[in-house]
Amino acid sequence: MLATLVAIALVVQDQAPLRASPQDSSPRQATLWQGEWLEVRGERQGFLQVYDHRRERPGYVRATQVRVYSLDETSVPRLQAVMEFVKETPGAEALGIGHAAALLRAAKASQVGPEFFAALGTMADRLARRATSNRTNDTALAAHLDVAASYGVKLLGFEREGRTRVCYDGEAFRRVLALGGGAESRLQAALSLTRPECIDPALGPVELHALHTWRRSVLEQVDASALPPYLANRLHLRRAEVEATLAYQFSRRGEPQRGSEAAERSVDVLARVSKAELAEEDREAYAVAAVRVGASRAASAHDTPPPSSGPRLAWTPGQPGETCLRLEEAGDGRRVLFERCTYGLVWPASSRRSAQGTAVTVAVQMLEGWTELWVFHQEDGEWRLDTLAPGAVEPSLGYVELAGFSPDGSRILVTREVVSEGRVKSSFQVLKRDTLAPERSAGRPEAIGSFQRWSSADWRERTVSLR
Amino acid sequence: MSDETRNEQQRDEQQRSEERKQHEPKRGEALRKAWGLMGETARGVVSRIRWLVYAPRGRRVMGGFIVTGVVAGVVAAQPVCTIEPGEVGVRVNRLTGSVSELPEGWSLLVPHVHRLSRYSLKDQTFRPERSARATGPAPFQSMEGLSIGIEVNIRYVLDPGKIGALSARLPENVGEDIVEPLIDGVLRRHFAQHSVREIFSTHRVRIQKDLTEELAPLLAADGVLLRSVTLGNVDLPAQYRAGMETLLAEELNTEKMRYTLELKDKQVKQSALEAEADKVRREKAAEAAGSEEIIAAKAKAEAMRHILPFKEKEIEQRRLEAEAAKVSRLTLATAEADAHRIQAAGEADARRKIAESDAYRLEITGKASSEQLARDAELISRNPLLIQKTLADKLSDKIQVIIAPPQSGGFIAGNLLGPAGSAPSAALATTGAPGGEE
Repeated sequence: MLATLVAIALVVQDQAPLRASPQDSSPRQATLWQGEWLEVRGERQGFLQVYDHRRERPGYVRATQVRVYSLDETSVPRLQAVMEFVKETPGAEALGIGHAAALLRAAKASQVGPEFFAALGTMADRLARRATSNRTNDTALAAHLDVAASYGVKLLGFEREGRTRVCYDGEAFRRVLALGGGAESRLQAALSLTRPECIDPALGPVELHALHTWRRSVLEQVDASALPPYLANRLHLRRAEVEATLAYQFSRRGEPQRGSEAAERSVDVLARVSKAELAEEDREAYAVAAVRVGASRAASAHDTPPPSSGPRLAWTPGQPGETCLRLEEAGDGRRVLFERCTYGLVWPASSRRSAQGTAVTVAVQMLEGWTELWVFHQEDGEWRLDTLAPGAVEPSLGYVELAGFSPDGSRILVTREVVSEGRVKSSFQVLKRDTLAPERSAGRPEAIGSFQRWSSADWRERTVSLR
Repeated sequence: MSDETRNEQQRDEQQRSEERKQHEPKRGEALRKAWGLMGETARGVVSRIRWLVYAPRGRRVMGGFIVTGVVAGVVAAQPVCTIEPGEVGVRVNRLTGSVSELPEGWSLLVPHVHRLSRYSLKDQTFRPERSARATGPAPFQSMEGLSIGIEVNIRYVLDPGKIGALSARLPENVGEDIVEPLIDGVLRRHFAQHSVREIFSTHRVRIQKDLTEELAPLLAADGVLLRSVTLGNVDLPAQYRAGMETLLAEELNTEKMRYTLELKDKQVKQSALEAEADKVRREKAAEAAGSEEIIAAKAKAEAMRHILPFKEKEIEQRRLEAEAAKVSRLTLATAEADAHRIQAAGEADARRKIAESDAYRLEITGKASSEQLARDAELISRNPLLIQKTLADKLSDKIQVIIAPPQSGGFIAGNLLGPAGSAPSAALATTGAPGGEE
């Protein structure tokens, strides 16, 4: 039906009244919002006689409150200019989306390229961000969302951490990736499509794995070498996050080789981030990505030969999904000193033993971004197991890793990094071996002299906390 | 019979009798000549025989004749026979009646004493050519009485072990004389028991089997081993064939439909099985997903369990901190109260001291006042105008009091003091700022 229209009017002002007759005193039939589409049927006394197909209602609207376009190729440059102008204008998303819809109708197929979809996606994405931010004075938001929805721009809402997050489903960005486009457009599309906060929290592990695999394939479609360094950093950060997540998932699904490869790739990609070129707004994302990589770092560790003397760790599968860790004496007797089963992912290659053989640690990844350090230690001839968690917060994102033992074996050095209330907290601690109570703690390793002296070269080589 | 014909016969008879009368004197003369010739020939022969016997040349010639005759006799009688490979020979002695089997190769055969019969041991086939076509000289008959041609191929072989025993009673051409009539009879009987349709399509294999089963023992009794019976092309009468083909086509269609239905049925079953497999696969996938979710949830719960002690410690710490805060507040409050109390006591003491000092002061002041009063009284008694001045002082420090000299000869407080004629008039004036006194 719309294709047969001669001229359309796009509302450019919020709360423009649609009146019953061409007079300002006549009753208001409806309130129009910017970006709405009206069919023009005539003009009377400074008013346009229009028909609102959405509300199925005719009426009059002030000619100054709308812009009239004919739906043919003559309007394309004007529509393009308006769209380019409002593309980066906050609050004018609905207007831009309306113009994009008109442009799509008026232009020939050959005139619609990836740039068009990039602009449309940018506006839809910004509208979603605007809907997520809880600004109370944004009265036009609901109406703008409504206008965008009427043009088929789909915005999805998720409940996350007690608040609703609105996300764009990324249809336009998918088209950008399909049609080609410049490196920056592709990067923007890929970053928008793979946004971690827009992952549905209700997804199960199987769907999540499929989603992360898809995210990896999307990010691989962007060429980092064609981007300026600060934008390339964003791509590297996102890729590091995705690879770290996949490292856990592959290992969990019984594909340790692929998991190890993904973990190595995540470290490699994180190392590509140029800190000198890191934009200020990306610093937090850099820290979060590093925590995520640190949590899956153990997946890439290579097996070390078991010690010839002293206690050593062995592991056997228990119930489905369960791993049973057994601390046993070396030698032929193999007396079991301690045993514990866990549903977490045990990284046997991360197992370390103090020089005196009084403490053995191993990394256990409970969730895809949550790695604990299990410490087997000997007290009064008895072995016991204590768990070091990244922090006393809801398990979401964080890791603890062993940084070394004191020369006498009475102290354990650990690094903890955890995301709490949206911020990354790093701490470098010296713990007493018997109680695991922190003796000294600091935000930087240089602040503790003993930490500096006793931390192992092995840890310095593989950690991402010293970034 | 016509008269012309009768006349011609009479003419022929007359002609023949005339010819007989002419030849009778010639026959006697010829007989005489023949008799003479015979006598000469006999004499010639006797002389030749005498020449052959008595003359040396004659004896050589006779020897030549005898040798030639013997050779010709041997060649004509053939006393050595050859048995070819794949054959067996049976030699019957006519004088003794004994029978012997001759193997492959040469054997001696005494003419007029021995009789040799050869039997082939190779597989032989019998194809009744005369019955191969429905329009042929001897077609088979079906149960309906229709003439049909059937290509039958029967393969048989003579039993080598029985040839010796049977050679006495079997003709030499066993195939033609024994086997073929026998087979032909059985074939005809069998085909006559079946309808054309059965022969043509449905019972072909069965007929073949029945034929084999019946022919084998019959032929075995004659020392013939049946190898196989094969039915080939069945030739039907043209019209019947057309109808039959239509019928068969219909049947074929029916059969096709049956197979189509079976195929459909199998497809349905296949779909059902695939759906079932798909269902099982999905169930398994769901189960796997479920178990993965369960594992993830368990891992999360375990992580939570590891966090809980810290949380508890944190809560305990907070409780302790609160208690410490409470204690410190209490201590603070107590200290404050004590301080207040001490302060109050101090203040009370201070007040008492102040009161005491006040009382003391009052006492002293009183004493001093009374002494002052006494002194004042004494002073007033000496200077009465001092009262007016004092009164003016007490009225207010802000009121300017001008004590004018009594104009009408009286003091302003004269009413109070009564006429004081003796009082010295004085002029007192108070002016200036508060406190200012003059």
